[in-house]
Amino acid sequence: MLIPHVIIVGAGSTGAATAHDLALRGLRVTVIERGEVASGTTGRNHCLLHAGGRYCVTDRESAIECIDENMILRKIMPDLLELNDGLFVALTEADLAFKERFLEGCAACHIPAHDIPVKHALAMEPFLNPGTLAAVQVPDGVFEPFRFCLAFLATARLHGAVVRRYTEVTDFLSSGKSVTGAKLKDRRTGKSETLGADLVVNAAGPWAGEIAAMAGVSVPEVPTAGVMVALDCRLNNMVLNRLNKPSDGDIVVPQRATSVIGTTSWTVKDPDLISIPPEHVERMISQGEQLLPLVRKVPMRAKMAVARPLIARRGEDARQVSRTFECFDHAADGMNGFVTIAGGKTTTARAMAERVADIVCNKLGIGTACRTRELPLASYRLFYQ
Amino acid sequence: MTSMKMLEVPVQIFRYKEGEPPHYDTYTVQVSETAHVIDAMDAVWAMHDRSFTFRRACHHSSCGSCSLRINGVEKLPCITRVTDVWDGHAPLRLDPLRNFPIVSDLVVDVSAFFQRMSASGMAITRDAEPSLPLSVDDLAVTGVSPKPVELPENLSRFNRFENCIECAICMSACPTMATDDKFLGPAGLAAIYRARQKTDNPHEVAHLLGMADGEHGVWRCHSAFECTAACPQAVDPAGKIMALRRELIGRRFKKR
Repeated sequence: MLIPHVIIVGAGSTGAATAHDLALRGLRVTVIERGEVASGTTGRNHCLLHAGGRYCVTDRESAIECIDENMILRKIMPDLLELNDGLFVALTEADLAFKERFLEGCAACHIPAHDIPVKHALAMEPFLNPGTLAAVQVPDGVFEPFRFCLAFLATARLHGAVVRRYTEVTDFLSSGKSVTGAKLKDRRTGKSETLGADLVVNAAGPWAGEIAAMAGVSVPEVPTAGVMVALDCRLNNMVLNRLNKPSDGDIVVPQRATSVIGTTSWTVKDPDLISIPPEHVERMISQGEQLLPLVRKVPMRAKMAVARPLIARRGEDARQVSRTFECFDHAADGMNGFVTIAGGKTTTARAMAERVADIVCNKLGIGTACRTRELPLASYRLFYQ
Repeated sequence: MTSMKMLEVPVQIFRYKEGEPPHYDTYTVQVSETAHVIDAMDAVWAMHDRSFTFRRACHHSSCGSCSLRINGVEKLPCITRVTDVWDGHAPLRLDPLRNFPIVSDLVVDVSAFFQRMSASGMAITRDAEPSLPLSVDDLAVTGVSPKPVELPENLSRFNRFENCIECAICMSACPTMATDDKFLGPAGLAAIYRARQKTDNPHEVAHLLGMADGEHGVWRCHSAFECTAACPQAVDPAGKIMALRRELIGRRFKKR
């Protein structure tokens, strides 16, 4: 039997994890990425390995996905994580009043949460606001999104996948009501070519709508930008979250030699070029200094903005949109051989890949089960060798 | 929206596509006065020329992918402000890193760099070292000091990523690279130093020091210290090379 060939559009976390999953199941896989690995949304994410605490009150489905994947990633990429836990910190009476709901939410989502003495929190975090009223410790962590993707892709390559960077999809080939391949343009040479496929997975993040349009279908996605500010100094050991519902500037993720404050939320039309509103930067500083009073005194190292690939549900504003993910088999829209995986977050990329790979294998008549929960990934450094 | 002062910045970019002669193209882009050089590159790609290729991911000096030369000097454009490198008149010149094969425009093939990083086996995470600045001096902020703390034993187990972000800037800045293309290079030798610090296993130590002492190891370095000057993460590779030399010399005396 001829082994089916799947084209994956996008080498962000979703595309990378999907390439790994499908290659492990024995399919022929080609990843098409117009830039460097993780050069879109994944690269510029907040680097937070979610324990799910952020969503345990408002969006339990996402919270459970997060804690489950958090535990799996610790097994499959142990060398690629800063595992220092996170604190949810109460600074006001309103925060304090939220604590019971938060602890209930964590319990309901099997997130290990410990209400620790404030003096312990201040011992672990000497720069934390000394007016802290309560602190709850959860197993948050930190990853580095670029290497996260490289590790998935390096492993996929060991199982035969081909990764083509600096190559963009310009159109799809179709036969009747079925996608049969893609037209590609190599941005290194300017040359065009066609590549046949039994199925195409659209994993283009906030660009998924643009890619879907080339196949004549649509995806209900709303690219929603957020601003992050990186400081020229690391001010926290652990991830610091405000103990309340998710809002702007309520989280400071430390990483390596920096602390990154995030984030804001507004919808954008074109994810290619997002200009950073200066008032959003100021909001990050003024919110961040509530958690860490030194924030304003430390020089800023960088500021960045990128669009999240949120899935629209009618009547919801961006903060309320669930951070979970969805697969769209466009056979339902009359176009076969074309599947979109959208929404989600880097923490849950492996689960997203498992879901879309199940659909792909089902459509292609492949009976192999997912193996990505257990198999440790290869060194990310192998990607460039 | 708060008013934002805009700059009109001419950017001169090295262009190369396989089979064509290399040349420079100049674009004038509009960016805010607080923009970083990578924002100007983004504007060139998004507004002027979709064939322009460059590497990038994190935009905050963590991934190490966007490294290049700005006006001839190795930098990370994600943390370099336009106003810090542009004189207000002459075009801002962007070139790819030296000492690597050019793939397309500013994209170079960094596989030789990652082979060197793999050779040491240095893990990208490290532990048992403080993550935070310990004193006012370290923080460079006057008037504020963290309280000295003693962590309860079960709480002092923080780990963090290595300072080296594998941007390969040091290999571009190193004059020795041009004389020996097998030289382990600044980051490669600094990684050997870090890996050696983590182990007392005699076999591992002998392996690591053997690499450092080899034909393409620490003795090749001309002590120009360009790597340490260019490193955006204060890794001080030249200092690590000197430390390896000291250990190697010390061991020779001890043997006799």
